Amino acid sequence: MVALLQAVFSGLALGGIYALVALGFSITHTTTKTFNFGQGEFLAVGTLIGVSAVLLLAGKDITEALQVSDVTPFRYAMGLIASVVVLGLLGVLLYYTAVRPFMGFVGLAWVMSTIGFGIIIQNTALAIWGPTAIVLPSPLGNDVIRIGGAGIVPQEVLVLIVSILMMFCMDYVLRKTRFGKAVRAVAHSRNAATLMGINVSAIVVLAFVVSSSLAGLAGMLIAPITTASVFMGLTIALKAFSAAIVGGLNNPRGCMLGGFLLGLLEALVGLWQAEMREISIFLLIILVLALKPEGLLGQRQVEKV
Amino acid sequence: MKLFKRIAVALALGSALTIGVTQAQDIKIAYNADMSGTAVAELGVAARWGFEAAIEDINKKGGLLGRKVVAVIRDDLGTPPKSIQNMTELIDNEKVVGVVGPSNSGNALAWLHIPQNAKIPVIGATATATEITTRYAKEPQNYMFRVSMVDREQVALLAAYAVKASKNKKIAIIADSTGYGQAGIKDAAEVLELHGIKPVLIEKFGPKDTDITSQMTKIKNAGADAVIIYAIADGAANVVKSMEKINYFPVTLGTWGNLSSLYYRMTGPKLAPHLIIAASTTEDSNERTKALGERVRKNFPTMTTFVCAAQAYDAVTLLAAAITKAGTTDGPKVAAALEDLSGVQGVIKMYNKPFSKTKHEGLSVDDFYLAKWTEAGAIVRFQDDIFKSITPADLKR
Repeated sequence: MVALLQAVFSGLALGGIYALVALGFSITHTTTKTFNFGQGEFLAVGTLIGVSAVLLLAGKDITEALQVSDVTPFRYAMGLIASVVVLGLLGVLLYYTAVRPFMGFVGLAWVMSTIGFGIIIQNTALAIWGPTAIVLPSPLGNDVIRIGGAGIVPQEVLVLIVSILMMFCMDYVLRKTRFGKAVRAVAHSRNAATLMGINVSAIVVLAFVVSSSLAGLAGMLIAPITTASVFMGLTIALKAFSAAIVGGLNNPRGCMLGGFLLGLLEALVGLWQAEMREISIFLLIILVLALKPEGLLGQRQVEKV
Repeated sequence: MKLFKRIAVALALGSALTIGVTQAQDIKIAYNADMSGTAVAELGVAARWGFEAAIEDINKKGGLLGRKVVAVIRDDLGTPPKSIQNMTELIDNEKVVGVVGPSNSGNALAWLHIPQNAKIPVIGATATATEITTRYAKEPQNYMFRVSMVDREQVALLAAYAVKASKNKKIAIIADSTGYGQAGIKDAAEVLELHGIKPVLIEKFGPKDTDITSQMTKIKNAGADAVIIYAIADGAANVVKSMEKINYFPVTLGTWGNLSSLYYRMTGPKLAPHLIIAASTTEDSNERTKALGERVRKNFPTMTTFVCAAQAYDAVTLLAAAITKAGTTDGPKVAAALEDLSGVQGVIKMYNKPFSKTKHEGLSVDDFYLAKWTEAGAIVRFQDDIFKSITPADLKR
């Protein structure tokens, strides 16, 4: 029973991260039918920037090692903001250089260009930070919290809380505010939205800013659990993308559901047979694609010709 | 045209300078290992400074065969292609007479044929895969030697300790899913079998996994009271952190890669001392290790992987002794001399007949200790009553 509870905690913490990054895929997909295939690299670079900000605030060089006492909640928060802001700007750059030039054309040029953009920033990061993993101690300490016999570290609780909060915020903004209505209008039909006086290009740029910022947020949240490195993002982005597919790429709630589903599946299957985790995740994806290609909560897209 | 002239002059000056520094009759010894790329980079950096300290000491005593010894250092970034490229460059262009390195077993296995074909002796000072010294053992002359931990040998010590420490003789193995971890599972299971014990459970985890509670819960439920972890620093740290989450603290043993400070920084001070680690030496072993530790720390203040510095120091010392004995830097003669050394004082121990035609391991399980992290982040020898009760007969391998 304790084992099951432990697996559920672990799964939720993992799932929260998948969900956050998946949300980033969803928001640009609904507005432009494209997304950033370099999301994993974005996440890694954002994290490294955040960690460097923490180091600089602690009065150290960016190549030095962080001690537990260096990471105060304030410095960590500033690092998080740095990561989110820089990635937001990077999102603008990504949109104008790698997405906009190819939008509206038949073909998948934007897939290659976003992958390429990711590789460029990854290698730039490699030149700056090198390939070694940087340990970022959690600002909340490492004391295990025990709930019903199962243990969870404070950072995992933070990840869970922040990701759920972010999702509710996003959900609220998209469904209830004027801005959200504009986003949905653009998603529905760009031409109609333009005719209604919505600044479509502003909405689209903003979608990329939010998408990239979410990667920065997710990266800084998990860095104290996974360590920060140039290569940290790949697996996360892949799982997050899977989560978006399972839950429904065009539905934010579906992305969250997909994220948590994958996280829980991973932890629970691990309880039975560790080698089966990835197999079961991708079996689930194939199953969902076969039975409900638009994702569990996705809406069927009817192409009108 | 002017620009071309300038470049030509600069080039000429440059080559004149290099000639000025390394004379044609200097003896070049190379160090090729990972000093920045992977989790074992810290082992590589420590070994580098041990390597340089040894060369410094040789030159202080007048060099070798009346010639100055020059160190040629190459970082292989932990990747096999770079390591192969370095090796070719060192042997073909730099004309080194011997090589020390690498840090990653995979890299050694990738370029083993290069020094073997070029007949250049190599002494491994860090990588631990058993196969490194055995692949060419059947050739007329095997050019690969080692002064380091060897996987099979460290497992022998860890298993002997686990068997003695376990009360219910239920011992579990957990390893990462890389080649390193999988080879470790095989070694550990075989050695435990020699003790008449079948591992109660063998679990695996991905090298990027941070939450290993599911696997550890299974091990806990299987009733194991001793666990052998076969993973490098970050993986082992995640295993120990997961143990804390499920409040399960069996006797936990790990390989020497956990001497990397990455392990300590990831587990934090409270959890770090929980792991018992195999090591070939520690800084507090004797006067010589203490002195070398201080010297290396000048170049690498945060060093925790002292073993590698000591091993690299001894590797160079043995190579130098062989060159002196052979009276030449000719590869085949030096390799033959290495197999016939005796009475060479190293930092770790006195090497009497360290190598022979059939044995290319300078260190064996008889030389190994156990070590532990202190809460303050230092590495110290660990000898409890269980360790003291281990007899040579217990070290089955």
